[in-house]
Amino acid sequence: MTVAPRLSTLLLAAITILVAALLYSPLFVPIVSSFFPVARGEVDWSSPTVSTYVALAANHEILLALRTTLVVGACTVVLSVAGGTLLALYYHGRRAGRSLLQFIIFLPFLMPPIISGLALLIFFREIGIERSLLTVVIGHTVFVLAIVYRTVLTRLQSMSRTLVEASYDLGATKWQTFWRVILPNLSSAMVGGAILAFALSFDETMITILVTGTQTTLPVRLWAMMRLGFSPDINALVALILMFTVLLCALAARFLVPRQIATQRS
Amino acid sequence: MNQNSDLLTLRSVSKSYGTVPVLYGIDLAIRDGEFLTVLGPSGSGKTTVLRLIGGLEPLTSGEIRLDGQDISGMPINRRPFNTVFQDYALFPHLTVAGNVGYGLSVRHVPRKEISRRVAEALELVQLGRFADRFPAQLSGGQRQRVALARALICQPRLVLLDEPLAALDLELRRQMQEFLKSIQREVKTTFLFVTHDQEEAIGMADRICVMQAGHIRQLGTPHELYYKPNCEFVARFFGENNLVAGTLGEVRGEFRAIETALGRLVCSVNGQPHLKAAAAGASGFAAFRPEALHFAGDGDADNRLSGTIADLAFAGSSTVATITAGGDVAHRLRLRFPSRVDGSALRVGETVALSFAPHEGHLVLA
Repeated sequence: MTVAPRLSTLLLAAITILVAALLYSPLFVPIVSSFFPVARGEVDWSSPTVSTYVALAANHEILLALRTTLVVGACTVVLSVAGGTLLALYYHGRRAGRSLLQFIIFLPFLMPPIISGLALLIFFREIGIERSLLTVVIGHTVFVLAIVYRTVLTRLQSMSRTLVEASYDLGATKWQTFWRVILPNLSSAMVGGAILAFALSFDETMITILVTGTQTTLPVRLWAMMRLGFSPDINALVALILMFTVLLCALAARFLVPRQIATQRS
Repeated sequence: MNQNSDLLTLRSVSKSYGTVPVLYGIDLAIRDGEFLTVLGPSGSGKTTVLRLIGGLEPLTSGEIRLDGQDISGMPINRRPFNTVFQDYALFPHLTVAGNVGYGLSVRHVPRKEISRRVAEALELVQLGRFADRFPAQLSGGQRQRVALARALICQPRLVLLDEPLAALDLELRRQMQEFLKSIQREVKTTFLFVTHDQEEAIGMADRICVMQAGHIRQLGTPHELYYKPNCEFVARFFGENNLVAGTLGEVRGEFRAIETALGRLVCSVNGQPHLKAAAAGASGFAAFRPEALHFAGDGDADNRLSGTIADLAFAGSSTVATITAGGDVAHRLRLRFPSRVDGSALRVGETVALSFAPHEGHLVLA
């Protein structure tokens, strides 16, 4: 490597680290302070404790919100994986209408959540659907569909067309080809997409606030608590949500790395 | 198996992609049990022929008959043919055994029988130890053999091979050629092998079908194609050749003269009535192989040529001399002669007399 590319690589790395530090380092404040007690608005740095986490586990409202979040996440995953995969399969190899479809699928993901949320809210009111967990699930599904669609479509496009031809050639029917060749080759992309969808649903706030009924999810609960100022349990909750989301994203990356690269490495 | 009965016949089969025609009404009869190679440069339509027979593409017009029955509209998964794809198309999520057994498994063959036949098929291609590996863990040659075993296990009437050796290096390709040929003899199944490599075609085929620009130019044994090409394309494409243009002269027994810029040449028309019947004055070529051309001695009465040696290339067992002959329009002729341990006395720039025996010369119509 000559000097110039090496220099630019170093510069790029420095900028990346700087951006990451500026963006994410403030998050360490609540994480670190969640392990210390607060007395009269002052953090007592002398005695580390996990008491806030213990208190959190006993907080009935938080647990209820957590349960709601998990239920919404699970439903969203099922709907978005099924929908995204079907759309990807349907439009794979088709020329006409695909760019329009992609645009429509990606719109709610790329728009500011408040716009998507408002659009959904107005839509639900106009057709007379009561705001409830169902509307939250629909909102989340519309929001994360793009992620599943994209991951599955990418895998489909990298799949050799002759695999399907070989399956027919060996006597398989359409259904056999789908179940035995196409689906197994898509499964890791679907799992990766599902984890990402769950992670997005897990901390989605804006759309949820607008379309939810009486029940609240964890991030919405957090949002409500923060209006009264930062308390130790908020810090602990932020720390937990953060760790969980990072874990999910790391897991998703594992599934989305193409199989060939994984085997080459082993 | 009866080598003489036709297994599959193509009748005026045409194929167009949109408005672009790729096959122009070809006729072809594949004999039961033969190793037929379809040879042609890229874009000749040879892979399309294979895909039409396999059912991977619909015909534009014409028909394909199997044992006399029209199968043009038969879906791909019901045709008793199996394909070895150029990229092998092994299923990456299945083991070698899973890949080979796939064709039986989708037909609901009992599990015990599948594992017995998979073991047999892997034994046939000498991959018995690799049953539990995944395709990503195999070398190119091994994948190739898995693909072959997978195609053979369904006991197809016809195995279609789409340039399966193209991705292998030279040494491995030679081994695989012998291997394929021996397997074909062992299982006595008809093989249709598509390639652009004429050496590969000569080495393996019982018969070769030469294609160019969507037409079949000639169908015959490698020997026929080499010594009796029926057109300029085949004469030039198939092996090294000398072609000299001219106009046809009179017929004398099994020979016919052709007037060329290098003088009057006499060539054999034995067993080729169309060359005897062609009108005098029609344009054509005298064709003679580099190994048929030799340095002329006193006994050579016919077909005497002279020229200067432009290049001498040692090629191991033989040496190839490139000779410039003729006046206004220079002809480059190639002459191949056996190499000798004490070298040859010939020098570049030397003027030499050449000749070829009339029965080793051949005519093609332009």
